[in-house]
Amino acid sequence: MPGVVRRLPEHLTIWVPLLLSAAHLVSFSLWTIWISFTPSTLVPVSGWVGLRNYTAVMATRNWKIAFDNLLLFGSAFVLLSLVAGLVLAILLDQRIRGENALRSIFLYPLAVSFVVTGTVWSWLLNPGLGIQKLVQDLGWTSFRFDWLVDRDMAIWTIVIAAIWQSSGFAMALFLAGLRSVDADLVKAAQIDGAGPIRMYRRVILPTLWPITITVIVIQLQFAISTFDLVRALTNGGPGLATQLPALVVYDLMFQRGLLGRGAAAAVLMLLILLAVLLPYAAWRYLQRRRASHA
Amino acid sequence: MRDRTFAPSRMLIYLVVLLVAVAYLVPLIVVVLNSLRSNEEIAQTSMIGWPLRWAFGNYLTAWSDFCVAQTCAGIRPYMLNSALVTIPATIFSTLLGAVAGYAVSLWRFRGDQWIYGIVTLGIFLPQQMRLLPWTIVLRDMGLMNTLTGLVMIHTIQGLSFTVLFCRNYYVSVPQELIRAARIDGAGFFRIFWRIILPLSPPILVVTVIWQFTHIWNEFLYGVTFTTGQQQPVTAALIALSAAVADIPQNGVQSAAVMIAALPTLLIYLIGGKYFVRGLTAGAVK
Amino acid sequence: MPITTTRRRLLAGSAAALALPAFARAQGAVKPRLTAISQWSAGSDGAAITALGKKFEEKGGIWQHSPVPGFTTEMMNKLRAQIIAGDPPACSQLKGPEIAAWSKIAPTVNLDALVAAAGYEKVVAPDLAKLHKPGGKWIALPLQIYSTNMLFLSKRALDKAKADKTPVTWADFNDLAEKMKAGGVTYPIANGGTRPDDGQKFEASFAGISPAAYRAAIMNLDKNALEGPEIRAAFAQTRKIADWMDPNVGAQPFATNLKRFVDGDMGIMIQGGWAQGVLRNAGFKFDDFIIVPGPSDNSKPVFLLNADAFIFWQRSEPDLQAGQTLMAQLVMDPAIQTMYSQITGSIPVRTDVDLSGEGWSDGQRRTAGALKDAVANNQAVLSLAHNMAQENGLTAAMIDVLTEYVKNKTIKPEQAVTRLAEAVEGAR
Repeated sequence: MPGVVRRLPEHLTIWVPLLLSAAHLVSFSLWTIWISFTPSTLVPVSGWVGLRNYTAVMATRNWKIAFDNLLLFGSAFVLLSLVAGLVLAILLDQRIRGENALRSIFLYPLAVSFVVTGTVWSWLLNPGLGIQKLVQDLGWTSFRFDWLVDRDMAIWTIVIAAIWQSSGFAMALFLAGLRSVDADLVKAAQIDGAGPIRMYRRVILPTLWPITITVIVIQLQFAISTFDLVRALTNGGPGLATQLPALVVYDLMFQRGLLGRGAAAAVLMLLILLAVLLPYAAWRYLQRRRASHA
Repeated sequence: MRDRTFAPSRMLIYLVVLLVAVAYLVPLIVVVLNSLRSNEEIAQTSMIGWPLRWAFGNYLTAWSDFCVAQTCAGIRPYMLNSALVTIPATIFSTLLGAVAGYAVSLWRFRGDQWIYGIVTLGIFLPQQMRLLPWTIVLRDMGLMNTLTGLVMIHTIQGLSFTVLFCRNYYVSVPQELIRAARIDGAGFFRIFWRIILPLSPPILVVTVIWQFTHIWNEFLYGVTFTTGQQQPVTAALIALSAAVADIPQNGVQSAAVMIAALPTLLIYLIGGKYFVRGLTAGAVK
Repeated sequence: MPITTTRRRLLAGSAAALALPAFARAQGAVKPRLTAISQWSAGSDGAAITALGKKFEEKGGIWQHSPVPGFTTEMMNKLRAQIIAGDPPACSQLKGPEIAAWSKIAPTVNLDALVAAAGYEKVVAPDLAKLHKPGGKWIALPLQIYSTNMLFLSKRALDKAKADKTPVTWADFNDLAEKMKAGGVTYPIANGGTRPDDGQKFEASFAGISPAAYRAAIMNLDKNALEGPEIRAAFAQTRKIADWMDPNVGAQPFATNLKRFVDGDMGIMIQGGWAQGVLRNAGFKFDDFIIVPGPSDNSKPVFLLNADAFIFWQRSEPDLQAGQTLMAQLVMDPAIQTMYSQITGSIPVRTDVDLSGEGWSDGQRRTAGALKDAVANNQAVLSLAHNMAQENGLTAAMIDVLTEYVKNKTIKPEQAVTRLAEAVEGAR
């Protein structure tokens, strides 16, 4: 008993914040699930409409387009920003001059509000205002870069802006990882006569595995919650071509005043997420069991 | 591999890195140039261009003059509001996250993995979805339209990130260190203070940067849960951006963007160096 | 039906008789105070509401306006949060059918007595008045009016086309656009590419082709009208407009194109009166453009109504109640409406304000004239693109179809008609 009392402060410091955080997440999620089964419109109301909100959301073009876009945007963005971050980190790790300045340049986009960067990219990528016009004015009149107004390519402009925004963070984490690689390992490999490419593939990159997981998780949450950027860059257009689930959820809940449907869309979004995370969690679990048996 | 000769391969590295750097800088350059052009000049020529006449006055207007409805005090008061929310919320969420991350990774207790899993899942829960539940919580706590309410929200939400960052960092601290300290009779806080905290600067820099920039740039909660005089800097920035019924004040807005981004840019400039260097120093193996 | 109306009027009248002394008492005892929420924070909108606040203060009131910058959605988020917290503002910006929808979630103030005392009902367009008195009681007051289908014609583009008259019908309009194109105007249409902008192109076409069909289809959601020949013709006209636009416009607001419009590189904008204020604020002159009513195939002006309004929320504090009374009186005051419209480029809600004096532009005079004619001919209809015709949920579902149609030239008018009807069905 005295032991518990003596350890009360540490229990409080550990548990209170964790429990508050967990409690708000669980209760907010349950609340949203509940709302998704009610006829709520402008404000939450009780009632039961069964799956009507779900069928209504899934029947809309917005949702179908947003779902497809999330798969494309999510995988393309996570993969490309991972590669961009890793390549930049490896390049910066070559003891080059001006590393500090370069690192700051790759990092600064994260410091600026997404609303602002979305607006600036909407000028740069607009064929009539930005890069295309600039290049054409310089004399290359047949130059085309009009993805922003092209229904099929517009989603890639969001990939570009998002990578610009967040690959610096991936780079910084990877760079930190590269710098903490055991020098003895590297030396041993050098003595064995390994060239630079072989060195990276066999010795250095495998040690970056935990950092890669962190980067993937961070980028994945970035992809799923991408909202301000799209709103400022394309606002879901041209037409409905760049709709994303977060945009649809906000739009239904607050602009269209259809809380029930918006909540249903949010729950669907969480289900997509679980479909991605559960296999990973299962894999981790199996791995850990195998490790503990070994 | 790591020599300092100027072989062709090294030139190639420099070339690639510099090209990417220039591409990364383009949006910033556009904003800086626009911050030095008058609203009229931008409207009458084009969104992107070299200033015909340098409009340094934009910065003065942005800092202390432009009006958001009846309040004509520029961006200054809104910067203060943002600081009053961002600084405490960043400190609380970072410290609590560090202690919790340390407990989950090195101390281990029953249910730790479960609660850690739930808390970190929070990074995936979109902000938009939490807007109404937070409204109800704030109402019940009587914290609607207070900066305290915003600090609380950002602290609790931020824990998802800070616990994730810190736990993943502390897992690589050798258990033997902790075991040895416990044999010496050191308790939970003593070990944290004496052993863990000195190892922590790199990850604390990461979480501070992350939290600070995210809270500073947040808009949705900032305008919904405050009123008039307490609004954050993002609200003032949006007020200057293109409204349907008005000419976008791109010149002044760009200047305001530059001023509003200064704190976060500084944090990145200073912090970026430390968090890479910190990890490099070999604190963690 | 007539009996119910009379009884309701009687009831309203007696309520007014009871309410009036209470208002008067409240005003006498305390200093009026008003808490208000709007999205009007910058530019001429911000200037206009600030001027209104000054007038409020001159009358001895305390003006507590909290602007919520951004899209209307953020303003509604704020309003919703305040209502959920049990602390609604004394009045807030809200418009169109949303007034009826929101009035169901929190108690509003019955303004009948004040409206009657000001004789306001007689001078407001009937369709507009209806929106502000759901359930027969005035709970909100319109403040200013725009027509979303005014034509802004670039003087230089007109010169290039060697045009000597302004278009009246859509045939005239198409003819002018062709002439402009032939005369060297790169893009005859100068509109932007935002969602409401795309909606405006369609509603201007539809109402101009047949205001009666527009009323049936868009305002009353009549199934036959939604699939009738007029709406098909409207989509065909919208396609023409889209083809004359710069394909590079993306999601940019119309203001991005102002210079090319004034230079005559672009010819025509289909916009509301707010564009006048934007052009003027950007430093362009009245000689650079002409504003005329939108095309109408029966040659009588068609007016697509867009009106901003304030809704009044019930508060128990005497000072806030006194503030609401003062605010209502100010909003209905012809002098205040004059001041407001002269700042924003709109026209007054009151049809009895004289616009011949200084401070009004020709465009505003023509807009006011068009409103009078349109009301007389029953050709004043409610704008879809600016959330006047239907609640936001339904409006947005319809705009989804319209914006896709404008941006995707492979969609045929017939397909668009079907999609729109389906969208209406799905959203109801």
